[in-house]
Amino acid sequence: MSAQLWVSVVQIGCFFGLVALGYYLVLEGADFFNFALGPFAMFSGLTASWLMAQQGWPLGFAAVLGIAIAAVLAVVTEVALVRPIDARTGGGELPSLIAVVAVLFAVEQLAGTLFGRQLMPGRSWLPDTTLDLGFVTVDGQTLVLVACTLVSFTGVWVWMRKSKYGRILRAVGSNREAARTLGMPVGRVRLVAFALAGLVVGLAGQLFSAKAGVSFQSGFGWALSGFLALVIGGTGSVWAPLAGGLLLALAQTLVPYYLGSASLDYAVLAVAILFFALRPSGLFVRRVRV
Amino acid sequence: MSAVSVKESAGSFGWVRSAETARVLGTLVLTLGVIAWAGGDLFRQDLALLGATYALLALGMYLPFNLAGALSLAYSAYVAIGGYAVGLVATETGWPLPVAYLLGAVASAVLAVVLGFATRRLSGFYLAAVTLLFGVAFQSFLLDAKEITGGALGIGSIRPLTLFGGEVDRRSFIALTLLVVWIVAVAVDRVRRSPFGVALQSSRDVPAAVEAAGIGVPALRLTVLGAGAAIASVGGGLFTTANQTIGPDTFTLSLVMLAIFMPLLGGQGSAWGAVLGAVLVVELTFNLQIFERAGSLIFGIAVLAVLLIAPRGILGYAGQGARWLRGRLTRTGGTR
Repeated sequence: MSAQLWVSVVQIGCFFGLVALGYYLVLEGADFFNFALGPFAMFSGLTASWLMAQQGWPLGFAAVLGIAIAAVLAVVTEVALVRPIDARTGGGELPSLIAVVAVLFAVEQLAGTLFGRQLMPGRSWLPDTTLDLGFVTVDGQTLVLVACTLVSFTGVWVWMRKSKYGRILRAVGSNREAARTLGMPVGRVRLVAFALAGLVVGLAGQLFSAKAGVSFQSGFGWALSGFLALVIGGTGSVWAPLAGGLLLALAQTLVPYYLGSASLDYAVLAVAILFFALRPSGLFVRRVRV
Repeated sequence: MSAVSVKESAGSFGWVRSAETARVLGTLVLTLGVIAWAGGDLFRQDLALLGATYALLALGMYLPFNLAGALSLAYSAYVAIGGYAVGLVATETGWPLPVAYLLGAVASAVLAVVLGFATRRLSGFYLAAVTLLFGVAFQSFLLDAKEITGGALGIGSIRPLTLFGGEVDRRSFIALTLLVVWIVAVAVDRVRRSPFGVALQSSRDVPAAVEAAGIGVPALRLTVLGAGAAIASVGGGLFTTANQTIGPDTFTLSLVMLAIFMPLLGGQGSAWGAVLGAVLVVELTFNLQIFERAGSLIFGIAVLAVLLIAPRGILGYAGQGARWLRGRLTRTGGTR
C-alpha cells in the first residue's frame, strides 16, 4: 500500500472522528444518537460553497457563517423538536429516533431546495501550501483538517475537565438522575452539548467538503460513518471517537484496496454486526465490569 | 333519522360489526374510485401505481414498526428482491409471473428473519443503523453481482402478466394492483385488532408482560418482520411487472425514509393511515408541479409538524372528529 494512501486514511479518519465527537457530546448530554449531525455538517459545507461560488463571498466569512448555521440548526432541533417530543412521550427511544430521522430528511431537502441538487466543490483553506515529507506529500487542506481535529479534541477534552458546564456534562453522562437530583441544570447542559456538537460537525463539514465536494445527499453517508466511528471507538474517553474514526477510515481504505470496491459495504456491515455482537460498548470502555 | 338508527344498535355487538363492514365497503368504494380515476390516462396510471407500491411498502413496515416498535430500515432491499424476482423469473424461466411474487415474498421473508435473528438483541438506534447498513450493502450487491442482477443496467423487457390464457394490459394490471393494496390493508387492519395484534402492540410497550403471558416476544418480532418483508416484496414485484424493468436505482434507500413517515402523516392508529400517507407522499412529491422541486421539502416540514402538533396523524384526528360528531348526534337523539 502506497504511503499516499495513509495520508488519505488520516484525512478521512479525522473527519469521521470529528463527526463522532459530535455524536459523543450529544450522547453524553441527552443519551441519544443525533443522526441529523451528518446533514448539519453537509448544510455547513454546502452553505459556504454556495456563498463562495454564487455570491462571491470570501472564504473566511462563508466558513464562519456555515459553522454558525450548523450550530443554530442543532440548537433549534433540541429546543423545538427533541425536547417537546421527549416531554410528551416520556423519553422513549423510538419517538426521538423518528424525530431525528425527520430532521435529517427535512434538512437534506431544505439544502437541496435552497442550494440546488448538484455536487458543489469545496475550497481549500490553504491552497498554496504542501508539505513534502520525502516519501509523501501532504496538501494544505489535510494539514488544516488534522490541526483543527487536534485542536477540537483537545479543546473538548480540556472543556470537559476544567469548565463548569463540561464537568456537569460528564456528570449527566454518567448518571442523569443523580445529576438531576443534585440540582444540576440538566436541560441547559443538554442545550450546550447540542450547540457544541453542531459547531464541531459544522467545522468538519467545512474542512471535508474541500476534498470530495458536497451535495445535499452527502450528510446521510456522513451520519452513518460518524455513528460507526463512535460504535467502534466507544464512549470511554473523549479521544475514543477519534480512534474509532481512524480505524474506520483504515478499514474503508484497506478493504477496497485488497478486496475490490464492492466489498466495502459488506465489510462495513460485517464490522457493525461484529462490534454489536462482541463489543457493544466499543473499544474504550469507562465502566469497570463487576 | 340516521342518528336514531345508530343509537338503537349502539349497545349491541352487531353495531361494531356493521362499522367494520362499513369500513371495509367504504374503502373498497374508494379503491374502485381510484381505479376509475386512473382509467386510461398514462400519468394518472403512473401515480396510482407508485401510490400502490408505496402503500404496500408502508403496510409492510406497519406491522413490525408501528405495531411492534422495531424500526428495521432494510425495506429497500425487500422491495428490490420482489422486483428482481419478477425480472429473473420473466427473463430466465418460462414460469408464470405469480410464481415470482411468491418466490420474492418467500426470499424476502427468509432474509428478514435471518437479519432479524442476527440483530435480535438490538433495538432503537442500533437496530436502525445496522439494518440501514444492510440496505447499503444490498444496493452495492445489486450493482456488483452482474451475472444475477444485470449490474447498473438492471433487467429490462420483462414480459407482462398472463392470466387465464390472455395478457393483462397495463390498465387492468394497475386496477389489480390497487385491489391487492385494498386486500392487504384490510388484512393488516384485521391483524391489528386480532389477539395477535394486541400481543404485538403490548410487546412494544411492556415486553415483560407479554413474556409473562406465555408469548415469546423474539419469535413474535421475527414473525412480523418476515410478514412485513413479504408484503413489501409483493409491492416491488407488482411495480416491476407494470414498468417491465428493474434496476438498482428503482428502489433507493431514501424510499425507506419516506415509508417511515407515511403512517405518521396518515395516522398510526389504523393500517389505513399508512395507505393515506402513501397517497399524500405521491401527491406531494410527484403530482404537485406548482411547488416545482420543493415537494419533498414540504413533505419533510409536514412530517415535523405532524410529529410536533398532531402525533395521531390525519386519520387519528378524523376518527376523533367522527366520534365527537356521533356523540353529539346520539345525545340530541336521546333528548328528543
